[in-house]
Amino acid sequence: MATTPLGNLLMTTVEKAANWSRTRSMWPATFGLACCAIEMMATGAAHHDLARFGMEVFRASPRQADLMIVAGRVSQKMAPVLRQVYDQMPDPKWVISMGACASTGGMFNNYALVQGVDQIVPVDIYVPGCPPGPQSLMHGILTLHDKIMAGEIKR
Amino acid sequence: MSEAKLVTVTINGVESQVPAGELLIKAAQDEGTYIPRFCWHQRMSPVGMCRMCLVEIETPRGPMMVTACTSPVSDGMVVDTESEEVKKAQEAILEFLLANHPLDCPVCDKGGECPLQDQALAYGPGESRFVEIKRSFEKPIPISELVLLDRERCILCALCTRFSEEISGDPLIEFQHRGNTTEVNTFPDLPFSSYFSGNTVQICPVGALTAKPYRFRARPWDLQKVESSSLQDTAHPRIEIHASQNEILRYTGVDNDATNHGWLSDKARFGYEYLRSDQRLTSPLVRRGGELVEVSWTEAIDTAANRLDLIKSEDGGEALAVIGGAQGTNEDAYAISKFARVALGSNNVDARLDDALASHFLSASVDRATIADIDDADTIVVWAPDLKEEHPTLYLRVRRAAQELGATLVVIHPRATGLDDRASHKLTYRPGGGYELLDELANGDHPEVSQAFAAEKVVALVGIASHADGPQLAESVAALVRRKAVHAKLMPLNSRANTYGALDMGLAPDLLPGRVGLDTIGCANLAASWGDIPAVIGRDTRQILQGLDSGEVRGLVLVGADPINDLPEPSIAVDALDAAEYVIAIDLFLNDSNRNADVILPASGFSEKEGTVTNVEGRVQKVNQIRPAPGQARTDWAILDDIATRMGVSLGLASAEGITKEIATVSPAYEDLTWDSLEWDHRDGIVVPIHGAQAINHIPVALQGSKAPTAKLTLHVARVMYDNGVRLQHSPSLHKLGPGAVAHLNPGDAPSIGARDGHTIKVVTTRGEGEFTCVLDEGTPTGVVYVPFNQQGASSLGSDPVVRVTTS
Amino acid sequence: MGVIREFIKGLRVTGGTMLRTITGEELVTTEYPKEMRQKPPRFHGRHVLNRYPDGMEKCIGCELCAGVCPAKCIFVRGMDNDPENPTSPGERFGFVYEINMLRCIFCALCVEACPTEAITMTHLFEMSTTNREDAIYTRETLLMDEKGGVPHMFPDDELADMDELAVADGWVKATAPSGMASYQGVKMWQGTPGPGDWDPEPGQSELDARSPTEDDDG
Repeated sequence: MATTPLGNLLMTTVEKAANWSRTRSMWPATFGLACCAIEMMATGAAHHDLARFGMEVFRASPRQADLMIVAGRVSQKMAPVLRQVYDQMPDPKWVISMGACASTGGMFNNYALVQGVDQIVPVDIYVPGCPPGPQSLMHGILTLHDKIMAGEIKR
Repeated sequence: MSEAKLVTVTINGVESQVPAGELLIKAAQDEGTYIPRFCWHQRMSPVGMCRMCLVEIETPRGPMMVTACTSPVSDGMVVDTESEEVKKAQEAILEFLLANHPLDCPVCDKGGECPLQDQALAYGPGESRFVEIKRSFEKPIPISELVLLDRERCILCALCTRFSEEISGDPLIEFQHRGNTTEVNTFPDLPFSSYFSGNTVQICPVGALTAKPYRFRARPWDLQKVESSSLQDTAHPRIEIHASQNEILRYTGVDNDATNHGWLSDKARFGYEYLRSDQRLTSPLVRRGGELVEVSWTEAIDTAANRLDLIKSEDGGEALAVIGGAQGTNEDAYAISKFARVALGSNNVDARLDDALASHFLSASVDRATIADIDDADTIVVWAPDLKEEHPTLYLRVRRAAQELGATLVVIHPRATGLDDRASHKLTYRPGGGYELLDELANGDHPEVSQAFAAEKVVALVGIASHADGPQLAESVAALVRRKAVHAKLMPLNSRANTYGALDMGLAPDLLPGRVGLDTIGCANLAASWGDIPAVIGRDTRQILQGLDSGEVRGLVLVGADPINDLPEPSIAVDALDAAEYVIAIDLFLNDSNRNADVILPASGFSEKEGTVTNVEGRVQKVNQIRPAPGQARTDWAILDDIATRMGVSLGLASAEGITKEIATVSPAYEDLTWDSLEWDHRDGIVVPIHGAQAINHIPVALQGSKAPTAKLTLHVARVMYDNGVRLQHSPSLHKLGPGAVAHLNPGDAPSIGARDGHTIKVVTTRGEGEFTCVLDEGTPTGVVYVPFNQQGASSLGSDPVVRVTTS
Repeated sequence: MGVIREFIKGLRVTGGTMLRTITGEELVTTEYPKEMRQKPPRFHGRHVLNRYPDGMEKCIGCELCAGVCPAKCIFVRGMDNDPENPTSPGERFGFVYEINMLRCIFCALCVEACPTEAITMTHLFEMSTTNREDAIYTRETLLMDEKGGVPHMFPDDELADMDELAVADGWVKATAPSGMASYQGVKMWQGTPGPGDWDPEPGQSELDARSPTEDDDG
């Protein structure tokens, strides 16, 4: 397959198509944990029209979600729950770590909080902000789209 | 200490009992009332310069303003430190001080820990009526290699000038000009080259004096702090280590009655740069085909242990030896001791590098003087190295005793020392002629000195004043002092910082841990925890090196030791290490001695490990960790425990605190010593033996020695504060302060040799020769050539006093 | 029949709104990234290190920002200025300046603490990264160029809008200069090579009097 130019061309095209389709209907699983969740809701509201990217359907069930937006500080107690929700999501799946607390623990450098959700789940995009505004989050989502488009079909 | 009479004073309406004659500012502070001040320091005499400590006392003529720092308390005194008048005075004083003080706090090193800043906030008016332009000076001017001066920040409190005059005895910084143009400065062409200059930086209440190595490196609020004891000084002055981002940025002195009174020598204060040197060893190295190769710890330990095991099985433990251990903690020293005795089966172990007093003398408990005894003494005899160069904390204590506490000070040294200006009697002798002077003293030839010996409390500080005299002289001096003054207390001096701890842990061929001699009783007591110990007394450093040369000793473990640079006769070490079959080095750096070693293991240094240390008076203090060791470096005890395990012997060393517990169990002098007690009840340390156990009762004996050589010139070689030691080599700020390759001559001798100041002269002895820069110096007596030991670019001259000097 | 009339009445509202939305009269949606919503004037975006008009850096490396930072996300180290070729006026300059944007909570206490107004905040908010290291902004990224623009952390990023960076708006301290009425109308800023001069601070009463319906949405 890799030997013929046609085969390569074919695969590339399929890859692009698959990646494109993934970016067009990414259903987020809500993981609102704190104040960042308010901004995440605002992102889903009419002003910013997340439906343009086919993302307006925030799913409560991880089985129907592709993207987990971890919005807020993750306590040590929440960590296993978060991991379980992530495990329940079907592949391919992505994670956005929204805001300072989810990304690094933020100003809460203490025993109660996970110092960065990437200690529990693989994170694709980190969005700085405290909290990041809807446009900041959308910038994160667009960066994720870029990342998916540039990536491979098999994840 | 006599009980002071108490008087009653009323401070802010609260009556309290305070010692009579105490200064009001100190009495109030002890009773919990802080009176703001800039110029007062509890270790110095008051001057009343800054007027910040104004308080109101009641007098028959109504309330009166006095400075609390110059007013002794008297019975029935009624003081108000918070009245409206006092507040007005404080505001006015601060407004005046800030009339010229620049508001450059953001760039000032003192900002954040500045007494002026703090007190302006707490007691100041908040705004100023002065709109005139402030004074400005050229800034910063380097007044020495280590200290910078910003004159416009100075508030003329006279702390630095008083310190250098009263405490350190180098009055090199002084006020100049008068009135509005008064400024503090050094004398023209005379740098502030005091060994204690760093203390002025610490006590300066503003940022006028700043330290070059610390300047702009950090701000006070991002420093992590931990208390520890300095290992750059045999008295182990208490320090606070300040670090940021795992990098040590400075040491500050901690005011501590037992040792240093808050003062530090510059070597102890700035001697941290080597820890962050990029030359530090960070991974184990093993020699393969002539090259040192980085390997894993497992491989390095395997290699070392296999070879040691092989030598041990072939020739027994006598063919193995350990040198070093005087620069680490007691825990490390204990591990070395146990490793040598139990794993290697050898008593060939020595922490002294052939330049120290007898092991039994150094670790004897009988009639041992403490540092506090110096304050109490009527007569202090110093027949020792120049204290200012080698024992700076003791120097300050002896100086204070002679100057303020009225002790008679007798100094005996081959040339001028830092204590001469405070000495009641000063005797000099030709290097190598110590025994002659001793005989004269014994015969009563120096009546004024004999009279001084007759005092009730005599403290003698004895050590090796000149390499030419050898270590036995000091013991003979001690014997003489004891004969003249029966109750004399002795303080045997040795240069490396934790030699005393190392000897207490048994790092000598004839000692076991806890000030126990290597005899049948000592071995039997230790057998329960250590198993069988070889009963034959082992080799000391010189014998080990000679054994290596002759092939009787085949394997050597060097633990933080550099014999080639540290031995008075380095040729022995050079030959020995060339001939050595197998050398394992545990060290921070590659140095001349371990450069050709077969296995080199990186060790963690000071501030990278916890433990205890024992100082010159037997005071055990805790040293603490603040940063991780670089790379894969590990503590000495952990390395040795691993090697022993690999050799099939379990030392059972699991943690530094565990080792301390073991030490407390097996060594009589350290019984009941715990980290808890050092951290809580005894922050200044505990003097061992804690329960008065007197295991070694060493009575010094007078020995006969050689006469002074009849040569025209004799050589005096002595250590100075800044030498070419490994730690200083890697501390750039301090290393350049060493005198370098110089030879001091009396101006009277110069014409006959044809030498002139600054010219190169050739110095030849039976052991070596070298070229030195000639320094003409009144402090060196006629007929003596003085050469500082171990200097960069200087060749070693050995310890034979006969010397020939030519102009080259 | 009444039911149908009510039905049509309801649809008229729907249809009317739909029409007005299509014509743009009542459109509420902003189509980020094609269009940006106007940020409020005191929006806390990414930091910038300012320069004096002569090009000297304002930062003196005093570490007050690092000291005050509640998230401890700023790391500063000072250094001696070369007297011949100084980086900042005075003796000291900030030789290391790093902000971990992922720790930062954009509280602007650093801006408050800065004695020289060296660090201020912009309206830039697009800082998403794919790894944690990229979120540590160094001195090179934070320092403004001579024209008052900010270098972009990822100049190759196709989302990067270089035009916007060049005219980055809002070189302002985050909060009012002082709550005191006496400072009302006092111009508090030194001239920066940022975009334009700043109007004097309005007083609190003036701000209160402003219509609350102004769009302050981020």
